[in-house]
Amino acid sequence: MGSSVDDFVAARSQMALTLGFHIILASISVGLPALTLLAEWRAHRTGDPVYRRLARRWAKAAGVLFAVGAVSGTVLSFEMGTLWPHFMATYGQVFGVAFAMEGIAFFIEAIFIGIYLYGWDRLSPRVHMLTGLPVVVGGLASTFFVVTVNSWMNQPRGFKLDASGHVTDVHPLAAMFNPATPTEATHLILASLMVCGFTVAAVYAVALLRGRRDRYHRLGFGIPFTFGAVLAPIQVVVGDWASRFVASHQPVKFAAMEDITHTANGVPLKLGGIELPDVLSLMVKFNPHARIRGLDAWPSSDEPPAGIPHISFDLMVGIGTGLVLLGGWALWAWWRHRDLPRSPWFLRAAALAGVGVVIAMEAGWTTTEVGRQPWIVYGVMRTSAAVNRGSGMTLGVVGVLVVYGVLAVATVTVLLRLARNDSTETYPQPVEKVDA
Amino acid sequence: MTEIALGLILLGLSAYLLFGGADFGAGVWHAVVRGRRERAMIEHAMGPLWEANHVWLIFVMVLTWTVFPGVFADIAGRFWVPLSFAALGIVARGSALAFRKVVPDRYAVTFATASLLTPFCLGAVAGAVATGASSWLALAPIYAGLLTVGLCAYLAAAYLTWDAGRLSGPALASRFRSYALATGAIVGALALPGAIVFGVRSPLIGLSAAAGLVSLVLLWRRRYLAVRVSAALATGAVLWGAAALSRLDLTHQAAAPAVLRLVLIVLAAGGVILLPSLVWLYLLFQRPVPPS
Repeated sequence: MGSSVDDFVAARSQMALTLGFHIILASISVGLPALTLLAEWRAHRTGDPVYRRLARRWAKAAGVLFAVGAVSGTVLSFEMGTLWPHFMATYGQVFGVAFAMEGIAFFIEAIFIGIYLYGWDRLSPRVHMLTGLPVVVGGLASTFFVVTVNSWMNQPRGFKLDASGHVTDVHPLAAMFNPATPTEATHLILASLMVCGFTVAAVYAVALLRGRRDRYHRLGFGIPFTFGAVLAPIQVVVGDWASRFVASHQPVKFAAMEDITHTANGVPLKLGGIELPDVLSLMVKFNPHARIRGLDAWPSSDEPPAGIPHISFDLMVGIGTGLVLLGGWALWAWWRHRDLPRSPWFLRAAALAGVGVVIAMEAGWTTTEVGRQPWIVYGVMRTSAAVNRGSGMTLGVVGVLVVYGVLAVATVTVLLRLARNDSTETYPQPVEKVDA
Repeated sequence: MTEIALGLILLGLSAYLLFGGADFGAGVWHAVVRGRRERAMIEHAMGPLWEANHVWLIFVMVLTWTVFPGVFADIAGRFWVPLSFAALGIVARGSALAFRKVVPDRYAVTFATASLLTPFCLGAVAGAVATGASSWLALAPIYAGLLTVGLCAYLAAAYLTWDAGRLSGPALASRFRSYALATGAIVGALALPGAIVFGVRSPLIGLSAAAGLVSLVLLWRRRYLAVRVSAALATGAVLWGAAALSRLDLTHQAAAPAVLRLVLIVLAAGGVILLPSLVWLYLLFQRPVPPS
């Protein structure tokens, strides 16, 4: 018996693939209802049909994304058990309450998104807008609860293990509000809102580049772009806080992130191929000669895979910095002439930012997940001890790969169709039935 | 507290069968009716509700892994193949339905196939757990899978008679009435012998049979709203009968009392918001759209 290495790799790949897919959709569908609600509120206040059109269009996209996000999230619930049964059997009760709360938040979100999307003609404008609020709050709350489970996997608390390896003395709330929760939850919620802002803005940036520079497209770009650009610098501060937390609480992950091979005083910062002497010590401990532990401080069996956390961390930081600069460019132009930057290069960069922000989020996720290896529960349970020992997992990942490949293509095609229909519509056209 | 938690899991499972299951069944009829208007009616009836209906499954899974982590891990680990098929079916189905809002003429085959595959796999796993079968490809699980598909189709046809009457007209309602009568008779003929063969010794058999017969009479007399209740009762009783059959050792697998207590508090608090919202969701879309 015992799972083969291939099956273990297959299980991890399947989890990474399905989670990596879900996280994009979930991110956009957490933020998009908020943007939709903002546009609907502006339409209600000003009577401006452009806002109304934006609200209807975004609601429609949110409907598609929420549906695919909901079902791809369900797959993850299944996989918790089908791929990692030993993890669930041992620790399900420790972190389960967070999922119960997540379930309720998600239920509220699902009920009200049904009411919101289909209720335009059945409810007064004021009540309709109010039904959008539980969608936004439910989305943010369920994101928070889910992340508490991941933060628990990094900083397991709220239980003890007896001599035979059984969990005793369980304190579910202590598990949920573990030391990693504040940084992880804040960082991920901001990241997901940024993903929403920059991806939606990118769709309109492409339309603007193609010469459709009417008010509809300018607002369709401006609202989500502002949303993302305002959050980007905040995320830098939060990211700094998060990496300092990792440096003090998961030093081996930090060593992998910064590619510190040897414990030393005055550690250099490695950026791409360049090394800046003493800079990392200065950044982390505010002392250029401070000692930081390198990967050699741990036995190699307790180290994350070499290279991946460092590359993905730098990628995330690099793209994040780019997004801040892009926002700065827009702010500069607005300050100078109350308009978006005139250069087409700005729009090209904004279109690219839609892809970049997704890569940044995936890279950040890779950093924290791969950086936690070889543990599924940091310091307590190895990922290899959690995996399903049934055979044939490799076949499973192939099936999932095919289905998700088709799903990704179909989702993008449908969303593009939605965006294209939009620009061919005669304008202004205030009313369209969502549930036609 | 373990009993209350188990009761809630069964309640969630029943809700998933009666609401989510009917959505799967609606997918089956979606393939049968073929006509564009008929399909639009089915999608319209499901539209605002299916996501909320679907969450019952997540509710059941989350509650099971929190309250009976060992049981969840054991079932999911052993039956990972049918459960993976079910999960992929859920993805394909939900996405296909959402995509059809934007491109109405496509994804019908995916929607239909996944609407058959998912309840079959879930039913097979339930059958394997209830009868203690070690493989999902044994006789009992396959029977249970087929029965589940039948129950879903029957429920959907019975529910859709009312929706068709409301959204389309008496002609389409009559069509679903004949579908419901036919599947009701078939599923009844399939369920009762099965219950006896697999040793369900429970008055629930009688309840299911009686509710099933009442449903057929109500359908015959075109009492479309009343049949929703009796058809749900007939179907739910099958699930409870199967649950009574299972020999899972739950008391030794339950989570710590601190966990159970907190879960029940969370669910009670959540229920205060959830249940009225859910009732509002269902009632809101039963009314015709007010003229603007």
